[in-house]
Amino acid sequence: MPEALVIRNLSKRFGGLRAVQDVSFAVNEGETVALIGPNGAGKTTSFNLVTGYYRPDEGSVSAFGREIIGLRPHDICAHGLARTFQVARPFGGMTVLANVMTGAFLRNRHIDAARESAREAIAFVGLSAKEHSAARDLTTIDQRRLEMARALATQPRLLLLDEVMAGLNPSEVDQAVALVGKLSKRGLTIVIVEHVMRAIMAVARHIVVLDHGQKIAEGNPGEIVANPDVIRAYLGTGYVHATAGGT
Amino acid sequence: MGGLRNWGMLSLGVLVAVLLALPLVVKNSFVIDIFIRILLFAFIGVAWNLIGGYAKQLSLGHAAFFGLGAYTSTILQIDFGVSPWIGMVCGGVVAALASLPIGWLCFRLRGPYFAIATIATAQVLMLIFLKFRDLAWGAEGTTIPNLGHAPLMMQFEGKTAYYYIALAMLTLGLAITYRIERSWMGYYLVAIGEDEDAAEAVGVNAPRIKRDIYMISAFLTALAGTFYTQYIYFIDPNTAFNFSVSIEAALVSIVGGVGTLWGPVIGTVLLEATSALLQSWLGSSGGVQLTVYSLILMAVILWRPTGIMGFITDVYQRRIRAHGGSVQAVLDA
Repeated sequence: MPEALVIRNLSKRFGGLRAVQDVSFAVNEGETVALIGPNGAGKTTSFNLVTGYYRPDEGSVSAFGREIIGLRPHDICAHGLARTFQVARPFGGMTVLANVMTGAFLRNRHIDAARESAREAIAFVGLSAKEHSAARDLTTIDQRRLEMARALATQPRLLLLDEVMAGLNPSEVDQAVALVGKLSKRGLTIVIVEHVMRAIMAVARHIVVLDHGQKIAEGNPGEIVANPDVIRAYLGTGYVHATAGGT
Repeated sequence: MGGLRNWGMLSLGVLVAVLLALPLVVKNSFVIDIFIRILLFAFIGVAWNLIGGYAKQLSLGHAAFFGLGAYTSTILQIDFGVSPWIGMVCGGVVAALASLPIGWLCFRLRGPYFAIATIATAQVLMLIFLKFRDLAWGAEGTTIPNLGHAPLMMQFEGKTAYYYIALAMLTLGLAITYRIERSWMGYYLVAIGEDEDAAEAVGVNAPRIKRDIYMISAFLTALAGTFYTQYIYFIDPNTAFNFSVSIEAALVSIVGGVGTLWGPVIGTVLLEATSALLQSWLGSSGGVQLTVYSLILMAVILWRPTGIMGFITDVYQRRIRAHGGSVQAVLDA
């Protein structure tokens, strides 16, 4: 299978802090890969490096055969990589529809066409009933849905989801898992940063584990839960709780 | 919704008719002067609103473009005999070009730092025109030679023609805003105003959009500068680059409602009318009228931070909800 994303020897320092150190991994097209690790492991930093919000000190990132380091975030989005934010960042004063249309304009500047494809994305994430609500009035899960719809409207090939399930209750997590599954079925390549182990096991067949900015393990869920380094660094004795749905 | 639109078109038609007929009815030149000022500042507010309202880039330096417009047309007219009509467009182009380096410098700053940087650019331009006498006429400025009735040189007997020019400029500004508001550009501007990083994440080239809208805003503001100089027959750095122009441009939009089509117009009518009324009641000496004016301003901003348009929209939505209708028209425009 061709590779959608290839990350090689990526490093980023903030002053004395090595947020990401020499991280390499690849994501195949159509695959869902989870990026996990304890707080401060460098997951969100890696996302920001891949999507152009930070410039790495070293390393390279290529997406669909093109080097994307040095590109600005909007260029990277235009190249087919869309992301969500750890804390949802909807355009609060705009309606749900206007939010998603803003994403849709990337591929089509016509207002009617943008509205059309925005409605499609909104329906896909199940927000149609709230199309005309102001984004700031949405609940947490609906804001996450909105962010996904807005990202989808840019017609990405690779979707980077940053903790879309944080702060959701167990039944909402199930809905979110179902949604990610639906996205994957559509043929999207997905990289997901997540804390909720139950969700990761459900959506990802390949997991990359970061700790203190370094990759400590990589493999399928079965290998990861059995890996002593992972258990020591991340799961620890809390693993029992983690499988029960929390961290 | 169709009825609503018809109602809107009807009231717009009535407004246009009243504005067109006004100078035929009102002959008092003091009153016409107030109307010209309202139209002019509403226009400057509309120009400011594009960058300051929709994209929420709080520029407090629009006097820079106002002044560049004023000086470009005046220099062309006095030194080269070029008609201010042509000078006006040239001034717009000069201001639009000047907005490129100004924006390049200022847009790397955000929030209050951006505002401060824009203030500085207008001040620097004022100092340049004050100090370098070769460039223009230094601190003492110059009067525009009065040619009597010379429409081709943008000079007219009486105030009626100036009124119509100002009305035409405002109409142009509103038409441009209307078009932008209803296109992808409008969505992008609002998205940038809401959250620039998030906008970038969905493919919005924020620096380029800001640069483009800043150019349009600068161009329009410069037209106002030319017009004002022709209207008062005088130019000096202090009137052309006056900080109060920058303040007024932002203020009328903030009071009326930033990021709305009619906000700057409503804000200007409110502020200019208040200021004119206060002046006639309290007199212009002693600063009492300024104090009262400032108090009213504070009250409006405290009471309605979204401006008068925000207030109208709120009331309107509540009424529609009460009637069980849809709020779609309001929110999606």
